[in-house]
Amino acid sequence: MSERLLLTGNHAAAYGAMLARAEVISAYPITPQTMIVELLSELTASGRLAAKFITVESEHSAMAACVGASAAGARAYTATSGQGLALMHEMLHWAVGARLPIVLTNVSRAMAPGWSIWSDQTDIISQRDVGWMMLFAESVQEAQDFIIWMYRVAEQVFLPGMVAMDAFILSHTAEPIIVHDQDAVDAYLPGFEPLYDLDPTQPRAYGGLVNRDHYFELRYKIFESMERAGRLLIEAGDEFAEILGRRYSPVEGYMLDDAEIVIVSAGAMTSNVRQADKDLRDRGMKAGLMRLVAFRPFPVAEVRRLLAGRRKVAVLDRNMSPGHSGVFAQEIRSALAGQSGAPPVYGYVVGLGGRDVRVETVTEVVDDLMARDVPELALFVDVKGLPIGPVRPDSTINRLGPLEVAR
Amino acid sequence: MRWAVPEAEFMDPGTLGCQGCGGTLSMRLVLKELGDDAIAVLPACCWSIIDGPWPVHALNIPVFHTAFETAAVVATGIKAAKQIKGKDTTVVAWAGDGGTFDIGLQALSGAAERNEDIVFICYDNEAYMNTGIQRSSATPLGTWTTTTPDERPEPRPKKDIMGIMAAHRIPYAATATVAYPDDLSRKVRTALAAKGGMRFLHLLSACPPGWKMAADDAIEAMRRAVQTNVFPLYEVRDGREYKITHWPEAEVDVADYFSLQGRFAPLLADDALLNLVRNNVRERWWFLVERHQQSLRKASSPDGAHLH
Amino acid sequence: MSTLNHVDDYPEIPVSLASTRTILKTGAWRSVRPVLAERSAPCSAACPAGVGIPAYLQDIKEGRPKEAFAALTSRNPFPRITGRVCPHFCEQACNLEEKTGRDSVSIRSIERWLGDETAHLPHPVPSRETGKQVAVVGSGPAGLAAAFYLRRSGHEVTVFDRRDLPGGMLRYGIPDYRLPTVIVDEELARLEAMGIEFRNGVALGSDLTLDDLEATYAAVFVATGAGRERTVGIEGESLLEPGLAFLEATGRGEVALPGDRCAVIGGGNTAMDVARVLRRLGAEVTVLYRRTVTEMPAIREEYEHAVADGVTFKWLTLPRAVKKQDGKLIVTVEDMWLGEPDESGRRRPMPTGVSRELRFHGVFSATGETADLTPFPDRLMSSDGWLSLAENGATTDPLVYAGGDLATGPATVIEAIVAGRRAARAIDHQLGLDRLWPEDNPIEVVGSAEVNPTYVPRHDRTADHVAEWAGPFAEESVTMTDAEVLYEIERCLSCGHCNACGTCFVFCPDGVITWEDGPVIDYEFCKGCGICVAECPGHAMILVNEREVSHV
Repeated sequence: MSERLLLTGNHAAAYGAMLARAEVISAYPITPQTMIVELLSELTASGRLAAKFITVESEHSAMAACVGASAAGARAYTATSGQGLALMHEMLHWAVGARLPIVLTNVSRAMAPGWSIWSDQTDIISQRDVGWMMLFAESVQEAQDFIIWMYRVAEQVFLPGMVAMDAFILSHTAEPIIVHDQDAVDAYLPGFEPLYDLDPTQPRAYGGLVNRDHYFELRYKIFESMERAGRLLIEAGDEFAEILGRRYSPVEGYMLDDAEIVIVSAGAMTSNVRQADKDLRDRGMKAGLMRLVAFRPFPVAEVRRLLAGRRKVAVLDRNMSPGHSGVFAQEIRSALAGQSGAPPVYGYVVGLGGRDVRVETVTEVVDDLMARDVPELALFVDVKGLPIGPVRPDSTINRLGPLEVAR
Repeated sequence: MRWAVPEAEFMDPGTLGCQGCGGTLSMRLVLKELGDDAIAVLPACCWSIIDGPWPVHALNIPVFHTAFETAAVVATGIKAAKQIKGKDTTVVAWAGDGGTFDIGLQALSGAAERNEDIVFICYDNEAYMNTGIQRSSATPLGTWTTTTPDERPEPRPKKDIMGIMAAHRIPYAATATVAYPDDLSRKVRTALAAKGGMRFLHLLSACPPGWKMAADDAIEAMRRAVQTNVFPLYEVRDGREYKITHWPEAEVDVADYFSLQGRFAPLLADDALLNLVRNNVRERWWFLVERHQQSLRKASSPDGAHLH
Repeated sequence: MSTLNHVDDYPEIPVSLASTRTILKTGAWRSVRPVLAERSAPCSAACPAGVGIPAYLQDIKEGRPKEAFAALTSRNPFPRITGRVCPHFCEQACNLEEKTGRDSVSIRSIERWLGDETAHLPHPVPSRETGKQVAVVGSGPAGLAAAFYLRRSGHEVTVFDRRDLPGGMLRYGIPDYRLPTVIVDEELARLEAMGIEFRNGVALGSDLTLDDLEATYAAVFVATGAGRERTVGIEGESLLEPGLAFLEATGRGEVALPGDRCAVIGGGNTAMDVARVLRRLGAEVTVLYRRTVTEMPAIREEYEHAVADGVTFKWLTLPRAVKKQDGKLIVTVEDMWLGEPDESGRRRPMPTGVSRELRFHGVFSATGETADLTPFPDRLMSSDGWLSLAENGATTDPLVYAGGDLATGPATVIEAIVAGRRAARAIDHQLGLDRLWPEDNPIEVVGSAEVNPTYVPRHDRTADHVAEWAGPFAEESVTMTDAEVLYEIERCLSCGHCNACGTCFVFCPDGVITWEDGPVIDYEFCKGCGICVAECPGHAMILVNEREVSHV
C-alpha cells in the first residue's frame, strides 16, 4: 500500500532508492546530502532494503564502486553534491562508456571556493557533456519519484542518469509525499537486466583499448541511445501516471496556452516562478512558465513547440558559464536557433550560492524583460549595488587592502 | 614436471607484453591458481595494453578495465554485486605500482580499511613503464628513470607498501615474484583461502626495457632481488604475524642485483649511495627477521591464541 | 571474428569479441627462436662408453627402469658391474660441481641401483639370426661385452676361456667385497640365456690356435687381458709373490696368508686390491711406493678405501733388494725425493742414497701387468713387437680383432667394455651389417657456463652406503634405496637433454609453451625473449637466429 509521509527531500530520495530496489549503494557523505546516506544506511542495516551499502572513502570511489557493481549486474545508486560530483567526474564518464545505468541523486550545491553548501546548479551543469541523463526535481515528491522514473529509462538505454534536487530548499524541507506501494513500483520498474554482468563463463574484456578504427562508432551509439532516451522519458512518464498515479514529462508548461512571455526555469525555484506567474497574470500580463524537467537528453522538440511564437522568453539560470551565459539559456537559444517564430531569449543569472530567488525576484526579472528590446546573453539579478543587467565592461581588480587587526 | 604449477592456462598467447615481461608472466602464473571463477579489474597500467586491443583479449576470465585510481574500489563494487546475486566469484584487482603505490593508494587504503572481500595484486615494475619509464613512489633510491635522469637519480627510498598494508591489519599480505613460482602459487592459494577479507599480494615484476636489461635476464633479475634481500619474500597475517617464506642461503651483495640492470648505473657509480642502499636493505631485512621471530614466540606462547 | 564494417555491427560497449590468439601473431616480433637441442652432457662425454646419462636418469625418475636399462645397455651391458667398480669418469666431469662447487651427482650409485633393479630382466634375444659364427677368446669384460653385442646382432657366439670358469678379471681380479662373484655369475647366466655359448678350460695357443678359430668362425675377437705380473727387477725377485696370482687364489677361496706383516710394492689398483685383501684377512699391510699419494696411479677412491681399511703407506720408498732371514723377508728400501716431472707428467722419484731395512712375513709385487702375446702369429705383430691394432680393434688379419687390457695394458672395466663393443661393431661392419649400428654423431658438449643450477635442489650428494661388516669378502657397500636414487636424480641438471622438468613451461611469460610430456613451442606466438633458454637447467634449448632457420 502506498502511504503518505512527511519527508524531507533527502529522505524522499532514500525512499526512492529503496522503492527502486537498489542493490548496491555506495556513497560518501557531503552536506547537504548526508541524510540520504544516513537513511539508506539504516534501511540496509535493518534489512528493509536488501542492498549492500559501501561506505567508500571518496565520491570518486563512490562512483567507481557503482561502476563495478553495475558492471557486475546490480542496480547501483549513489548520492552526492557539489564538490563530490566534481570529484566523480572521471568515473561519470566511465559509467557512460561502459553503458552502466547507474542512478545518482545530486543535491545541487555551489562550488568552492569559498566554501558554500547552498543551492546552486553549477555543479550538475558542469557535468553536462559527460553523457548522463539529467532530471531536475521541483518537489520532495519528485526527489523520490524521479529516481524510479530514471531507472526505468536508464535500464532501457544503458546510460546512467542523475536527479538534481536543490540544496536545503528541497533536501532539508519536509513535505507530505506519497510513498508508493512497493508492488506497484515493482510493476513499473522490473528487475535490472544488464547488457553484461562479468559472468566468468563468458570471459570477455570490457572497456579495453580501442583504436581509431572503432572508437567513433561506439560513441555514435551513445548519442543514439540518448536520443532514444528522450522518447522513452515521455513514454515512461506516461506509464508512471498509469501505474503510480503521477504523470511526468521532460518539459512542463504552466499557463502557457496564451502566454506571450515565458519564463523558463528548472528545479525548486520553479515553484516561486509559478507564484510569480499568478501574480503577473493578476497584473494582466500574459505570462507563462516552461519548466525544464529533463536537461539531458535536452527536450529540443518540446522546447521548440512550447516556445514558438512567444513574444519574449526569460530563462532563469541558477548557474553560469563564465564568459558566456547561464547554461539553460544557452541551450534554449541553441534549440530555437533558425526556427521560424523563434522568440528572443533573455538569459538571467539568479540565486547563485543559495541567494533566495523569491517571487518578487521573478517579477523583477519580468519587469526587466519587458523593458528590454535587445536580448542579452547573461543578465545578472540581485548583485549588490547593481541593477539587473549584463556584467560591466570596465570593472577593475580589487587588490588586498591592509588587514584590520582588532585591538 | 618438476614444478607444482598447474598446466591449465587461463591466458591466451598473443598478448602485447614486451619480450621477457615479468608482469605478463605474473598474470599467467597467478591465473593458474585463481582458476576460472574469477574476475580481474584492470586500472590503467601495462596490462591495459597487454590484454590486447579491442575487440580481442587474452585472459580466460572476465576483465573489467577501469580508471587508474579505482582498481580496489571497482573490485569492491563488483564483489558487492556478485554477493548480492549470491555468487562467490573471486574478484581480483590487478594494478601496477602506479595504480597501487601512487594514484591507486586512496582507494586501496579504503578497501583495505573496510576489509573488502577482494584480492588486490600489485605487479610492481618500479616505475611508470607503460608511459615510458617515469619514476613512481615504488622506484628505488638511486635509480634512473626518464624523470629521474642520471644527473639526479631517484632521491628517495621505495615506499614501504607492505608496511602500509600491514598497518591496515588486513588478513593477508605477501610479497612474491615469479622467480619463485612455487612460493608465488602457494601465496595465491593462501590468499584465496583467506577469503572474507582483503588480501594483498605485492609481486616484483621485471621490466626488461624499463630496467635496461636483456629480456632473458628477467627471471635472473627477480631471483637476485630476492637473493640479495632487496625484495624479501614474506607474508603478514592480520598486520602483525610476520613470516619470512624464503631465507636466502647466504648473504649476496646487493650489487649482484643492481649490476644486472642499466637503470642502476647512477647508484653503482656512487659508492656512498650504494652503501646507504646496502645498509637500508640490511636494516629492512633484520627488521623482518625480528618480526618473524617475534611472531614465532607469540605463536608458541600460551597467549599466542589471542593474537587473532 | 565478425567484421565491423557498419555501425550496426558494433556492440553497445567495447566488449571483446575474440581471443588475442585470433589476430595477434606475436611470433612476428621474434628475431631468435628457442629450439630443443639434444646435446651431450659432460658426464656422457667423459664416459668411455658414451652412456647417455641424463636420458636414462629421466627414465628412472619417470618410473621406466626397463627403458633406462635398455638405454644403458645399448652402450654398456653390465651396469650392475660398472655400477660397483667403475672409477666414474662421468662424475668427475659433472657440470654441477664445475658450476657451483657442490658435489657431483652420484651417477655410479644410480647406475648400480638400476643394475640391481633390473637384474632379473633377460637381455633381448636377437629378432633375426645372421647364421654367422663368431668366436670370442677371453671372458673378461672386453670379451663379454663383445659377445653381448655380437649376439645381439644375431650371430652365433662362442666364448673361450682358459680358466675353468668364465669372467676373467671380473671373477679373479676384482675382490668379492667390491664385486661379489654371485653378481658375475648372474650376469653370465643372462648372457647364456641370450644364446651365447661358453667353452671353458680352453687356452689360446696351447689348446687351440687362431688359425683353428679362423677356419671355423667368420670372425674372432681376442681379449685375453694383461695377466702377467711385471717383475719389480730387484735382487731377490723370486721371494716376491705376484699380486694378481694372489688375488686369483683368494678369488678361488684359496686363502693363504704368509704371515701377520705384509708389504705390497706398487701404487696401482692391483696394489690397492692386494693390500686391502691382505688387510681384510687380518694382516698388517704396508704399501711401499716410490712416489707420493699425488702421483700414485690407483683410483683415488680405492686408495681412500685402503686407508680406511687400515693399510699403511710408505711414500718415497723404493725397494732395492729382498732377502730371507729367520723366516722373515728383509726388504732394503731407499728413500727417494721428487725431481722434475717425467714423460708421464708426474714428478720423477730421485734416489737420496739413504737406505733402510724393513721386515715382513710376505712381500707382494703389484707394479703392473702385461699381456701374453705368444698366441699371436708374427704376421699380426708390428715391428716394435706389439700387436698391430687399429682403433676399432682390427688386426692386420681381417678376420681377427683384439682389445681390452690385452691391447691397452691394465685399464678399467668400462674401457674393456668399450673395446669389446667397438670390436663387435667393427666385426659387424666387416660382415656387412652396418645397419645394425647407428652412427655416433659427435655432438657438442654442454659447458658449465651454459647451465642454470638454480632449480636443482641443494641437498647433499647421496651415494652407496658402507655395509656392516659381514666377513672379509662380503660386499663392502650397499646399493642406494629407491628414494635416495630419486633424490639424487633430482640433483642432475640434465645437461643437453630435456628431461621434461617443466622449467621452460613455467617461466614462459607468454604461455606459448604447451606441455605434451615435454615442451612444445608455438612459434606463431613465441616472441623470442629467450627466457626458456636462459632458465633451462641443462641448457637443452638453444636460441637460433631466425635468419638461419629455413622456412620450408
